[in-house]
Amino acid sequence: MKKILQLSLGIITSVGGFLEIGSVTTSAQAGAQFGYQLLWPLLFGTICLVFLVEMSGRLAAVSKHTVVGAMRERFGFPFFFVVSVGITIVVFMVLIAELGGIAFSLQMLTGIGFPWWALPVSLVVWLLMWKGTFSLIEYGASLLGLVTISFAVAAFRLHPDWAAVASGFLPSMPHSDKARYGFLTVSILGATISPYLMYFYSSGAIEEKWDRSYVVMNRIIAGFGMFFGGFLAMAVLIAAALAFQPMGIQVNTFPQAALLMTTALPKWGFYLFALSMLFACFGAALEISLAIAYFFAQGLGWNWSQNLEPSKNARFAFVYTVIIIVAAIPLMFGVDPIKVTMMSMALTSATLPFAIIPFLFLMNDPIYLGKYRNGWLSNAVVAIVVLLSFVLALISVPLEIVGG
Amino acid sequence: MKRFLAVPLLLAVACKPPTPAEQMDTIVSWIATARMAGDASLRRTTPDKYTRQTLELSDRMLLQSGSELLKSPPPAIDSADFAKVLIRTRFQIKEMARLVEQKAAPEFRQPWDSLGIYEKIVKQASDRIDSSR
Repeated sequence: MKKILQLSLGIITSVGGFLEIGSVTTSAQAGAQFGYQLLWPLLFGTICLVFLVEMSGRLAAVSKHTVVGAMRERFGFPFFFVVSVGITIVVFMVLIAELGGIAFSLQMLTGIGFPWWALPVSLVVWLLMWKGTFSLIEYGASLLGLVTISFAVAAFRLHPDWAAVASGFLPSMPHSDKARYGFLTVSILGATISPYLMYFYSSGAIEEKWDRSYVVMNRIIAGFGMFFGGFLAMAVLIAAALAFQPMGIQVNTFPQAALLMTTALPKWGFYLFALSMLFACFGAALEISLAIAYFFAQGLGWNWSQNLEPSKNARFAFVYTVIIIVAAIPLMFGVDPIKVTMMSMALTSATLPFAIIPFLFLMNDPIYLGKYRNGWLSNAVVAIVVLLSFVLALISVPLEIVGG
Repeated sequence: MKRFLAVPLLLAVACKPPTPAEQMDTIVSWIATARMAGDASLRRTTPDKYTRQTLELSDRMLLQSGSELLKSPPPAIDSADFAKVLIRTRFQIKEMARLVEQKAAPEFRQPWDSLGIYEKIVKQASDRIDSSR
């Protein structure tokens, strides 16, 4: 009975916690500019994420190691150090974007400019980290995030042409704006396959004391939870394709994105969007802060657990305290969270092989996983999607940076 | 050798400023944003502060993208006429923002309707630029 409850809660929280500023922004921009044509990277990214999340949970349940702890142990400190610099910069940018998403949602609801919200929002996130337990952070924030299901309602109410939607799942090239198309493709892949999710998920499995009896449950949670989460991101893209593309609206700012559901859900659409972004970004900001603290603590061999008092793992608490405060600074000076989001998502794609390929080696290591190590299918799917996103990122990120 | 040439070529392509068609797409996008925000406001489904801020943002972005486009106008449009259209468009948007601030809801529809007319004119100009490419 306890496991059934955990299973249901796991799936619900995976769905509620899937969307964040990156997935909403990239999907909305893609739908507004290219219609359904960019559904395929969302599908590829979601499939890859299902495999990756399942692997991280399996590693934790079988070997009792987190992803970071095992990588540090298997590949040594110099390797960990090099990878950690790149990953920390990118994940930190994502944290700025998430805090910006919360601040912008509050601006939409109150009219008070987002820079004014940066510090209070960071303080609330920090306070919850300081006082809250792992369960509160994981389940509380993700349950609130279930309001993002309204994106699916909006997409259905706009009556999409399902044959056209289906054609979007096959990769195709646009007639114009090819560089933009490439950049949005890598941004979508980066937003979907976020390495921080693996660190967070495997650490959570250790926090919740998973063992081998959780292997099947982990598979179901990763499969259903991430699939339905990906479905919500697809709903954002479909809603944007129907609400924005016919009018020629490009989603370059948050106030434009806020109009996404006003056609489909005239009465509540605006407020549902604002609340969806508020809760989704809030949950993601908590998870990312925790993931960065886990990353450092596990890599450097410090005490770590969100369930311990901060005085019992002071260095762990120090890491999240510093990063949350530092992340608020650019927002206080008015840095546009959407621009940070787009760049951080594309850079995430560029750094994926450095985070994922060593992880694949680990998942094939019989010392850690014994008979539970990866099969050829999971290796192939993850390697292909990660390499595809890396190659696209190498081409399109310089184009986007230089071309402004 | 081709590979060595490809990188500077890609950068050169990327370094070029936005094309008139891209600038026009931005202009169309901001006018449509103002129209959509206005439509939501007419139905009283968005807060007034949000509507006003979005209309003011649209106005600023139109000024910026319009000035960029008119620095080197494409042959497919008459630059003097287009400048006038942009001024009138921005006037309607400013008027809408003013009425929202004054909470004068009954008068809001008139500039919103007028904005719709200018939106069509700008879209036609945008189509002319696209077809002349």
